[in-house]
Amino acid sequence: MRPLPVAAALALSLVRGAAAAPPRKEGYGLPFDASADGFRVDELIHFTLLAIAVIFVIVAGMLLFSLVRHRRSHPARYTPGSKTSIGFALGFVALVLLAVDGTLFMHTIVDMRHVFWNFAAAESHPDAVRIEVQAHQWAWSGRYAGPDGKFNTQDDVVTLNDLRVPVGVPVVVQLSSVDVIHSMNLPNFRVKQDAVPGDVTRLTFEARTPGEYEIACAQHCGPNHYKMRGVLTVLPPERFAAWLRTVEADARRAYDPEDAEAHWGWDWRTR
Amino acid sequence: MTPADQVTPAQALMEAAQPIHAPPTSFWRKYVFSIDHKVIAKQFLWAGLLFLLVGGALAMLIRWQWAFPYRPVPVVGGLLFPSSGGAIAPASYQQIFTTHGLVMIFFAVTPVLIGCFGNLLIPLMIGARDMAFPKLNMFSFWAFLLSQLLVLASFLTELGSAGAGWTTYTPLSTNVGMPGLGQTLVVAAIFVTGVSSTMGAVNYVTTVIRLRAPGMTWMRLPLTIWGLWLTAILNALFVPVLGSAALLLLLDRELGTQFFLPAAAAVRGGGDPILWQHLFWIFGHPEVYIMILPAWGILGDVISFFSRKPHHWYRGTVWAMIVVTVLSAMVYGHHMFLTGMSPLLGEGFMLFTLLISAPSMLIVLNWVLTAWRGSLHLDTPMLFALGTAFVFGVGGLTGLFLGDISMDLYLHDTLFVVGHFHFTMAAASFMGSMTGVYFWFPKMFGRRLDERLGKAHFWFTLLGLTIVFGGQLLAGYAGQQRRLFDPFQYEFIRGLRGLNRWTSYFAFALFAGQFLFVVNFFRTVFSRRARPADPNPWRVTTLEWTSTSSPPPFHNFDRIPEVVRGPHEFSNPDVLRLTGRDFAGQAELLPGGGRPAVAGGKG
Repeated sequence: MRPLPVAAALALSLVRGAAAAPPRKEGYGLPFDASADGFRVDELIHFTLLAIAVIFVIVAGMLLFSLVRHRRSHPARYTPGSKTSIGFALGFVALVLLAVDGTLFMHTIVDMRHVFWNFAAAESHPDAVRIEVQAHQWAWSGRYAGPDGKFNTQDDVVTLNDLRVPVGVPVVVQLSSVDVIHSMNLPNFRVKQDAVPGDVTRLTFEARTPGEYEIACAQHCGPNHYKMRGVLTVLPPERFAAWLRTVEADARRAYDPEDAEAHWGWDWRTR
Repeated sequence: MTPADQVTPAQALMEAAQPIHAPPTSFWRKYVFSIDHKVIAKQFLWAGLLFLLVGGALAMLIRWQWAFPYRPVPVVGGLLFPSSGGAIAPASYQQIFTTHGLVMIFFAVTPVLIGCFGNLLIPLMIGARDMAFPKLNMFSFWAFLLSQLLVLASFLTELGSAGAGWTTYTPLSTNVGMPGLGQTLVVAAIFVTGVSSTMGAVNYVTTVIRLRAPGMTWMRLPLTIWGLWLTAILNALFVPVLGSAALLLLLDRELGTQFFLPAAAAVRGGGDPILWQHLFWIFGHPEVYIMILPAWGILGDVISFFSRKPHHWYRGTVWAMIVVTVLSAMVYGHHMFLTGMSPLLGEGFMLFTLLISAPSMLIVLNWVLTAWRGSLHLDTPMLFALGTAFVFGVGGLTGLFLGDISMDLYLHDTLFVVGHFHFTMAAASFMGSMTGVYFWFPKMFGRRLDERLGKAHFWFTLLGLTIVFGGQLLAGYAGQQRRLFDPFQYEFIRGLRGLNRWTSYFAFALFAGQFLFVVNFFRTVFSRRARPADPNPWRVTTLEWTSTSSPPPFHNFDRIPEVVRGPHEFSNPDVLRLTGRDFAGQAELLPGGGRPAVAGGKG
């Protein structure tokens, strides 16, 4: 083996790896946003932070002024409120209601209808990735449909605490649970959805940055709730395709018709 | 003052309806099976404060776990968790956070804020001799005590107490997730305390409607009574919903019914787990207003009293409280945004949730405008009132994030939610309760609490609560989820170890600071040297201070008062000229023909 090309390939893969690694996954502030639409949540959070800071400074400022200037020695005014002061209170409330609550409401309606809860749009994408996830105490089982595109068939790919998705296409996850209520939380993608036994719920997102991210259970589900951790790996499309080919081949070999436990899938929920 | 023999016809009617009975003489009748609302109030106060200590101790264990997971708890660890070498194990941890929530909400804050102040103040502030149904009142307390005993008993069972979270979500809380007797006992305790609350609520609602003294019109009611009355209405309407949900869950657990067991592989039922969440939150969201409305009412009065100024726009505050009460029943779905609910339903709940911020904000502004250009007397009750306004403001503002579906996608089930509801339900309810305790202590016990200890307690509490719950907000903002035995299993939380540790240090200091109150309280109640209180030490207007002694006699009022003005008659120049005082009692007739020289009641 010639050392130079090997070193070059190694260096190249290191650089690629470094570029693919997310900048920061822990620490203060919002976690790294690896999704295409997480910015919608983050922007709204920043807007709300600013708005409540302004409201807080105004109201707390008035109270502080009273605390400093209107002490025991200050003669109290005998008034149950004047037209001006009542008008100020009502106007302030109306302004906040329109400017802050109104903005939140409109933005959220648009975001929910067009992105976060718009499963039809996500599924209409020709390359959309569909995954069934079954939560149980205390792990996440994943299921890909395999080459036939149908769930709960022989060629399904089944994973444990290991979901992989490509960058740049919508991912639609259908969730259920076999025992108690769990909640699939993808903090780096700003989405979360309960997994309810006896029901199939849905979640959609689109990954933007390759890397390994955590799947957390957000709903208390028993003593080992804290251990219900999975990994979501975001891959470049070609590597995702390569991985899928490998695991599909494994799945064909590993299929066991007797193993009823492994046949937990369901027909893809279409509406 | 009216000459003693002059009684108006309205007063005569109320006197005839509520004749004076001889006070009980036997120990049991006087202190234990008492039907005197003032004694029952004290019973609720003792029971509530005791469980406040229990709930606080449980919180310290949670904070220890988040600061030092897997490490033995100092001092008490070996005693409490012998099987795990003094460290908290996952199964114990889930019982700790579950019972912390339940104890604080149902068995600590509710008895103090509603059981104690509702009982003490409703008859005294509206000018009645007792509750409308004194015996029902006694049953309410004894049912409550039974529920507390059930909670304590649950800790002694084989598998320990309840562990499904205070929300008791099914199917985790059924035999599928929590097979132990402890969970059954706690669900039974919720049912029994619900019965107690309902009995109390019916009593409060009736008493305020039927037994107001002559002249005590609705718009002359102290805001405290408005808060307690609206709370009682919410309790009467929604606690029975919780009670029926608890009963169904008990049937699921004990008789094998399947109301909440879904048709899933490991559960095999025919019911619906989400049904529990609907029933629970139909009660649960009004519950947070149940726990804050009395505090709002107390603040409305106390800030006016200690600013020596009429409450700003009394009618506005009253109507805002009524609107909040109505809306509170229409927002519960924001706890369930992520259960897969219909998007349209989600949007509707979001709309109402955002709308409820308007009346709440108006109430806060009215407090601020009451203090504005007042003459602020910063005694301990006033400090606690202003502190309550501050923490409630922070709690209310952080609620904006959570009522919004987009942001809830990220923040749901994080410590941000925990921080938010601790600012409102814990910090504001607790400091609101303390406002009441410091303010009405002289009326209850006929003695004054020590002001210096009270102020030290205030600063410990305000700073402690703000820093601890602020730390939770920060952690939740960075994504830390609630109810994790070891949060640092997750990489994205690992960087928050320092934050968690520091928050815990402040929590320990906050808990330690509460002993200032314990010392102050016990010393004043039991010491012979404590300063006796005169009938009206705060120089305020409402009936319990101006028309009777401290503490009041068994029958409250020698003569049922005739109310002539609203509750916030302060700094009126006419009153000052006629009496030399800056306040006029609600039933006080000013010199000059026996007619009230001041109309001032409308506010």
